[in-house]
Amino acid sequence: MSNQKDNRVRRGVSRRSFIKTGLGTAGALMLPSAFLNSAWAKDYPSLGTFPAGASGDSVFVGLSIPLTGAYSATGQDEKHGYELAFEHINAGTGMAAMMDSLKGSQGVLGKKVEYGIGDSETNPNSAVQVQTHFIHDKNAIMISGCSSSAVAIAIEKLAQREKVLNMVGASGSNDTTGKDCQRYGFRSQPSAYMAGKALAPVVAKEIGKNVKVAYLVPDYTYGHTVFNSTQKFTEQQGWKTVSKVVVPVGASDYSSYLLNIANSGADVFVNVCFGNDSVASSKQAQQFGILDKMKMVVPNISPFQASELGADIMAGVYGTLDFWWTMAQRNEYAKTFVDAFDKKYGKKPRWTAHIAYLQSMMWADAVTRAGTFYPPEVIKTLESGKRIPSTLGEVYYRAEDHQMVREVPVVRGKSKSEMRSPEDYFEIVGVTPGETVMPPKGTFGCSLGGYT
Amino acid sequence: MPNLSLFLAQLFNGLALGTLLALISTGLTIILGTLGVLNFAHGALFMVGAYVGYTVMQATHSFVLAVACGALFVLVLGVVIERGLIRLYYERPPEDQILMTFGLSIVIVETVRLIFTGISQRMAVPDWGSGIFNLGFMIYPKYRLIVMIIVVVTLLVLYLVLYRTRLGLVVRAGIEDQRIVGMLGLNVQRTFMVVFGLGAMAAGYAGVIDAPIVSVTPDMGQTVLVESFVVVVIGGLGSFPGAILGGVIAGEIISLTSMFNPAYSQVMLYFVMALVLVLRPQGLFGQEGRE
Amino acid sequence: MSLFSRRGLSLLRGGWRIEFAVAVSLLLAPYILPWIGFNADTMARIMIWGLFGLGFDLLFGYTGLLSFGQAAFFGVGGFVSAYLLVNGLVPNVFAALLIGTLLAAVYGALIGLLALRRVGIYFAMITLAFGEMSFFLENSPLSAFTGGENGLPGVPTPVLHLGFATIALKSGQWNMYGFMAVLFLIGFVIARRIVKSPFGAVLLAIRENTSRARACGHSVQKYKLTIFIVAAAYGGFAGGLLGILQAYMPPDAFTLQTSGQLVMQTVIGGSGTLIGPLVGATIWLYLREVLQHIPDIGALWKLILGAVFVILVTVFRRGICGEILRWGQRREALATNSPGATEVDPPRARSRSPREPATPEASRGSATDDAPVILETRGLSKHFGGVHAVTEVNFSVRSGEVRALIGPNGAGKSTFFKMLTGEHIPTAGEIYFRGDQITAQGPTAVSQLGMSKSYQINQLFASLTVRQNLTIPVLARQRGPFRLDMLRRLDRWGAVNRKVEEIMQLMGLAERADQPTSVLAYGEKRRLEIGLALAMEPEVLLLDEPLAGMSPSERADTIALLQELRIGRTLVVVEHDMDAVFELAEHITVFYEGEKLAEGTPEDIKGNSQVQDAYLGGMDEDELA
Repeated sequence: MSNQKDNRVRRGVSRRSFIKTGLGTAGALMLPSAFLNSAWAKDYPSLGTFPAGASGDSVFVGLSIPLTGAYSATGQDEKHGYELAFEHINAGTGMAAMMDSLKGSQGVLGKKVEYGIGDSETNPNSAVQVQTHFIHDKNAIMISGCSSSAVAIAIEKLAQREKVLNMVGASGSNDTTGKDCQRYGFRSQPSAYMAGKALAPVVAKEIGKNVKVAYLVPDYTYGHTVFNSTQKFTEQQGWKTVSKVVVPVGASDYSSYLLNIANSGADVFVNVCFGNDSVASSKQAQQFGILDKMKMVVPNISPFQASELGADIMAGVYGTLDFWWTMAQRNEYAKTFVDAFDKKYGKKPRWTAHIAYLQSMMWADAVTRAGTFYPPEVIKTLESGKRIPSTLGEVYYRAEDHQMVREVPVVRGKSKSEMRSPEDYFEIVGVTPGETVMPPKGTFGCSLGGYT
Repeated sequence: MPNLSLFLAQLFNGLALGTLLALISTGLTIILGTLGVLNFAHGALFMVGAYVGYTVMQATHSFVLAVACGALFVLVLGVVIERGLIRLYYERPPEDQILMTFGLSIVIVETVRLIFTGISQRMAVPDWGSGIFNLGFMIYPKYRLIVMIIVVVTLLVLYLVLYRTRLGLVVRAGIEDQRIVGMLGLNVQRTFMVVFGLGAMAAGYAGVIDAPIVSVTPDMGQTVLVESFVVVVIGGLGSFPGAILGGVIAGEIISLTSMFNPAYSQVMLYFVMALVLVLRPQGLFGQEGRE
Repeated sequence: MSLFSRRGLSLLRGGWRIEFAVAVSLLLAPYILPWIGFNADTMARIMIWGLFGLGFDLLFGYTGLLSFGQAAFFGVGGFVSAYLLVNGLVPNVFAALLIGTLLAAVYGALIGLLALRRVGIYFAMITLAFGEMSFFLENSPLSAFTGGENGLPGVPTPVLHLGFATIALKSGQWNMYGFMAVLFLIGFVIARRIVKSPFGAVLLAIRENTSRARACGHSVQKYKLTIFIVAAAYGGFAGGLLGILQAYMPPDAFTLQTSGQLVMQTVIGGSGTLIGPLVGATIWLYLREVLQHIPDIGALWKLILGAVFVILVTVFRRGICGEILRWGQRREALATNSPGATEVDPPRARSRSPREPATPEASRGSATDDAPVILETRGLSKHFGGVHAVTEVNFSVRSGEVRALIGPNGAGKSTFFKMLTGEHIPTAGEIYFRGDQITAQGPTAVSQLGMSKSYQINQLFASLTVRQNLTIPVLARQRGPFRLDMLRRLDRWGAVNRKVEEIMQLMGLAERADQPTSVLAYGEKRRLEIGLALAMEPEVLLLDEPLAGMSPSERADTIALLQELRIGRTLVVVEHDMDAVFELAEHITVFYEGEKLAEGTPEDIKGNSQVQDAYLGGMDEDELA
């Protein structure tokens, strides 16, 4: 039967009429999907890299990842997350084998996913340059990967302008799905607001309600944002702010700032610093005896913070993160991801890898459900609010601001004796459901751009 | 809410910060003074010292060995750099040396990143340094206290070397006038090599002892480089006392500013530098006319 | 060839050749470079780096000021323009760019005033520190305006109304490249004009020998500040374009990495060529893109480029364009030099002199005892720490006199000279020139007043030609210590060129006019050294050991030249050659251990036993040693 139809095509019947007649038949499913899709493409006008980027046997995804600079370690982790995701998508294994839409298929709409990696240097300018190259020279159908909110915002802006879908990588700023949100950008990581809101009730329960708090706040937008939301939600729990020490970004010695904290008489030390700043300041806080007197809370724990600081310092530290690998114990999807990652790279994934993996899967799922790579259709599918089972339970993107509604894990650092394996740094003390931590619609002034 | 005890604490801490900065800047300034070379890779050498110290500490758990190996490795690295590259630049304008050492610092930083990845490495505080010490008016980490003493002793040794030995005489003469070194009939080549090695070693040594305090990453040298530039500008060219005073001033500025507005502690440093440039462009201990 | 008219060709040869070549290259680039992987976005970025680099090259390549803080101006221009556009305060793109550029220039003036208080190594350190400070200011206190670490998204892309057409520029499209390329070309043409102006000539002099440029009567500091501001303006303009290019102004524009990349690109491409930064940016961005997309090399791109840079600086310091230019010049020089081969034995000064030498007898005694005192010092002293180099010297010279200063080495003669010219500030005492106090006014003012010096050790503008060398003092004479004639064409300034020609004739250097000083014979260099002082047309000419190191024939020529120079001038000569001193001088002042030992006619001095004891004896030893 299919042979017969093939012959008809060769005899000059247009592809479109063929597809229209053949689509309902079981035989059509046996045709190469690429063939099928190129026909579908014709139903949509050209937009961004569509249909050029979706016309071959494969589609291209552009990734801008910090390979050099301060975030090169998280960049490496993120890179592994993407590699694993596309390997799974192309082979129909891993989480791809578990998702309804991707089950049993290889690639996305039958097309192999290829990807290119460029160095963003944690530097928006370089990231934009890299992605522009991927969009213009490789017809990237989707772009992803970032290490900071600055890069995220720059890439989102580029995506909107070029009409190429952007699955935002690591970025915790409220602005990413707030005032700088874009129709073409979707984010899975919890915003600072969500992290603060998820954290507050759990730490209030664990540490106590009537406590005095000192904050160490890095002097940049992200630092102030995290401070504001953490302060807001913990004060609702009865916490009292007694000191707020704003420090320059990238300082290497925090002694003079920590003296202020040590002098504040607080019970809890909230360290808002991120990345290397967080490592240095936490380490020095311990040396100043601050951690003996105060409980430390890190609202947004950096991917490698625990291994960089060690259990000595991290024991008893509370905080949130996008994902911790022991979540595999309570979720099949997470288990699949963590096991596959461990098997391939010989280590546990950090949350940067998780974001890369999950966002890639969400994209592949949405494209498959949309049945086309045509960006507005994919966006509408992502906006539809359909609950997707994932590594974080059932998730969906909020249509108003493209923030993923997802559970937020709250963790406590384990002491050395509690650790059951070398990378078992955290105990999950609470998982706050996504719906409860979302900001009221319009809080951060998101106005999504147009579809076309 | 500045109060007396916090003020005293910050004053003391400023001194601790300052002595370390002074040590690093001394290395920069003796190279600058004697060879006329501004070593842009000074921060990178500081970082290399920290990494070597970390590696040795991991392997042997001996802090003393870590410091010794870190300092020696950077000394050797310094000599290799001097013989292999800097030597070719003595007859060339100072700008060329800056360009080359700037490029070199990138090569060093990226090589370390290649070997150790960008992840921050953890160098433990030695056992004898863990815990805190009550100074009466404040409590202070034991390790930082000891580091402060070590640094002050090192600076004293450096002082003796510079002011009581033949090599020191040459270095100081060279700072006065670079031609003198040649006129004194000394082996200029060897002197330059030794001075560059020593200056590099000061950075590497500081890197090892600072490693248990800060986070050890390939980029850790950049802040140090900029701060030591500021110290040298404040203190004056090639001046050993200038580097010490400049270092202490810088430490105090950072510390005392942070009592009022910590976010501006770094910027105050630049502000004071600008002030010095207006009031005494040659630096506090600099000589007029030397450029 | 026949396609070109004669007139067209001559237009190309005359001055605009380079501009034309660059324009053609920019036009052809979009048709050629994409074949090896360039895209419109990368090329537009190259244009921005090129513009940024034009300013930096004027600063570093032409004036010799190595700044590591250019990112500050790139950032200021960028963020000001972006802020104005994003918030709709200024609807017109060009107006916003202009305001951004101006504010960058103002900021440049501010930083420049501070940083330029030091030179060389210090200047690099200070600019770097201020650059870091600017980044901090952008990131924290000003984050309400700049968006802090998130930068400013939403910079509108301009729509050009050209009258005949309306072009909506689009990022990543070739029309954006075209827009940037046109702006680059305009920036390039302006920079070329600056380089070819008298102003540009002074910049080169400052790069080659700052203190000599000062001694030639130029207000070096003002030139430096001006070019620093110009460089800041170029940076600010380029920064503004960056925001427009990607509809987003990134905070990393302010970082040390940006300044560093600019420096490296400029050096790779070739500093002091104007086009070098553009070529450097092309190579940098291209290699960066190519290297990081090679599997397993990706993260190493910076290491590789860093290593390449170190090698390049060590071996090919001139950079790509610089080396090509030099290769071209060498070929040209070879082609012109080979047939004549007259260069081996350069013509002597005398034979080239248009005037007949005045006989010693005729000129001797030209200063009468009642001629006015033109130069006088009272109690002049200079101490270096505990060393008393010069102690309380009272000294006066009458107009038209030839005075010799003698004394053993270390007697303080050179220090005394340096105080006269303003190079050293006296510890005590005053200096009067034509009755006015000139103490501590600095070499520029002294030179402009009419007193200049030829140095004991040649202080030439080493890599400039003889003609360019002599142009520097002539310019100071013609246009005063400072003038903003950045767009005037030096080659069309007849008065200056005639004067230079005249001095070259006088000094016997006409045949060497377009050769760099490095190829000159020693005697020629000495003559050029004196020529530099002479070209200021000084009333008082100070000569510090003019005969030092000369061969007997060179010596004879120079003495004859001095005999000629004395006409209508006052000469003060420091010299060890006693025969020459006695032949030339009307009066002799003897220095000994920083003090004036004796003064009188050559006969008086010859007969002075004190002088014989203290000086002549000592000098014999000197001569022996």
